[in-house]
Amino acid sequence: MYDEQRLIELRGVSKSFGDTQVLYDIDLYIRKREFVTLLGPSGCGKTTMLRIIGGFEMPTRGSVIFEDKDITGVPPYRRRVNTVFQKYALFTHLNVFDNIAFGLKLRKLPKAEIAERVGRMLRLVKMEGYEKRSVESLSGGQQQRIAIARALVNEPEVLLLDEPLGALDLKLRQEMQLELKSMQQELGITFLYVTHDQEEALTMSDTIVVMKGGRIQQIGDPKRIYDEPKNAFVADFIGQSNLLSGVMLEDELVMMAGKEFPCVDEGFEKNEVVDVVVRPEDIMVVGTDVGMLEGVVESVLFKGVHYEMMVATGDMRWKVHSTTMQPVGSRVGLSIVPFNIHIMRREAVTLPAEGGEKA
Amino acid sequence: MVTSAARRDLRRRSSGGFKTLYIVILLVFLYLPILVMIGLSFNASESRAQWTGFTLDWYGRLFRDARIISALEVTVTVATLATVISTVIGTLAAIGMHSMKQGWSNLLTNVAYLPMTTPDIVTGVSLMLMFVFVRWPLSKWTMLCAHVAFDTPYVLFSVLPRLRQMNPNLYEAALDLGCRPTKALFKVILPEILPGVITGALLAFTMSLDDFVISYFTSNTDQNLSMIVYSAAKLGVEPTMYALSTLMFLVILALLLIINRRSKLEEI
Repeated sequence: MYDEQRLIELRGVSKSFGDTQVLYDIDLYIRKREFVTLLGPSGCGKTTMLRIIGGFEMPTRGSVIFEDKDITGVPPYRRRVNTVFQKYALFTHLNVFDNIAFGLKLRKLPKAEIAERVGRMLRLVKMEGYEKRSVESLSGGQQQRIAIARALVNEPEVLLLDEPLGALDLKLRQEMQLELKSMQQELGITFLYVTHDQEEALTMSDTIVVMKGGRIQQIGDPKRIYDEPKNAFVADFIGQSNLLSGVMLEDELVMMAGKEFPCVDEGFEKNEVVDVVVRPEDIMVVGTDVGMLEGVVESVLFKGVHYEMMVATGDMRWKVHSTTMQPVGSRVGLSIVPFNIHIMRREAVTLPAEGGEKA
Repeated sequence: MVTSAARRDLRRRSSGGFKTLYIVILLVFLYLPILVMIGLSFNASESRAQWTGFTLDWYGRLFRDARIISALEVTVTVATLATVISTVIGTLAAIGMHSMKQGWSNLLTNVAYLPMTTPDIVTGVSLMLMFVFVRWPLSKWTMLCAHVAFDTPYVLFSVLPRLRQMNPNLYEAALDLGCRPTKALFKVILPEILPGVITGALLAFTMSLDDFVISYFTSNTDQNLSMIVYSAAKLGVEPTMYALSTLMFLVILALLLIINRRSKLEEI
């Protein structure tokens, strides 16, 4: 049944380039005003998915639905979406004003309205006074702002962004992340954002779609993805983690690293082999007498807010984040509360070979 | 006392002198014949042996000679039309080849290189044979056809690099903002590659202006300026021919300087 909220939907979308299949039977919907991020390593098919929604690629199988209408074969110039491309793709033969006005002029809007809307966009992206400048005289960050303005001025239903901040330096990137998020909230436009940067995805998104090898691994809000990764890949990709295999002895009891740990997960088979994730910041360093595990500190790195220590217990090595430093070689106890042990069903994943995504 | 530093300095200076001498000899070898010809075109005497004073007479006669005026007309008509036609064909071909799959594009690139490396005389003779075969009488129109054939690769190879440099998303950005494919071609692709198109057109015009061999084989009734110089030279060269050659040299030189300057500006 059609959901009032669904703006765009992919139904059973597969895509192959020649012999390489890059998307496998993708089902996904995006709600109105949602900030959705496609997150995954390069070659996972995320850009191809964006290009299918933009109309630049045709799916090999499956369909694209926009407000309950099938738009699979509709060309880009008839879709109510606009794209911010990875390398800006500004028109170098036009100045800043004419770049932004490009789409409006094609729609033959009155001159006064075009000037008014371009002016408003320039204010939004904080580039007032740059109207007559040539785009080649602008810095990378400024060009990116113009590219965003050029897409947004058309008031699309969905704005597609293909790693738009990839070429900027860290500080500028973080600034732009916040600005993009506030623009999205201010304008109430749906954003579909592609990135391989998990931090960026966690900062900006309402919903994250984690992808690998042309398949969706997990869909969820940032907190859920971070706290409850669905499989070992998501856990590993989303943040630094301790990833180990364990055995579910019974409900709420897991055996890992040679010890039994109480946890909060239920519904597994008796003695089912599972993947277990423990975040470095969730491991507490305690005295050897009270710890659930005992180990030796192998290395210590100062990371600003915390220390990152590697602690060896038997044949397992744990990455631990702590605000107090323990010297290398010292014996420490480690403790984990049940809530912070994430049990994941081990999937019989037969992932396809990587590759095929167009940059 | 001569220090080692001073000795090194001396050596550098003498090798510098040798370099200058080398360049002077080279330039004399290349340009002296042309300078002599330019000088003789202003010589009042018809003899090549003596200088009897400055005159513009030969240039005046040039423009009163009906044969030369008609040859000029043929040259300019053929060069202009050949430039326009080959620029259109070459640019469209470049755009098409650029969007082809790699393998086909490479194959066509090599095929298009071939006419540029084929000796002019081979191109000329084969074109003549073709025109005779289809019973098209040789005139300035067959010459035009031949010029289009050898000009097109020059346009193609000035436009292709420009397309390869172009951001591959530009065309898609145009579609994204509402252009239909043809409109995207005219509003975005052409303006982006325009510098390459103009350089290609100038090259084609230059090639067409100074062509002799291919024109000689592919035209009969109509002669261009190079053909006039050639047939005049067979009868014994008049100073008007020096004047004509001087003018042709200067025009081509000016065109080449413009092309050079354009490609240098593009590198920046």
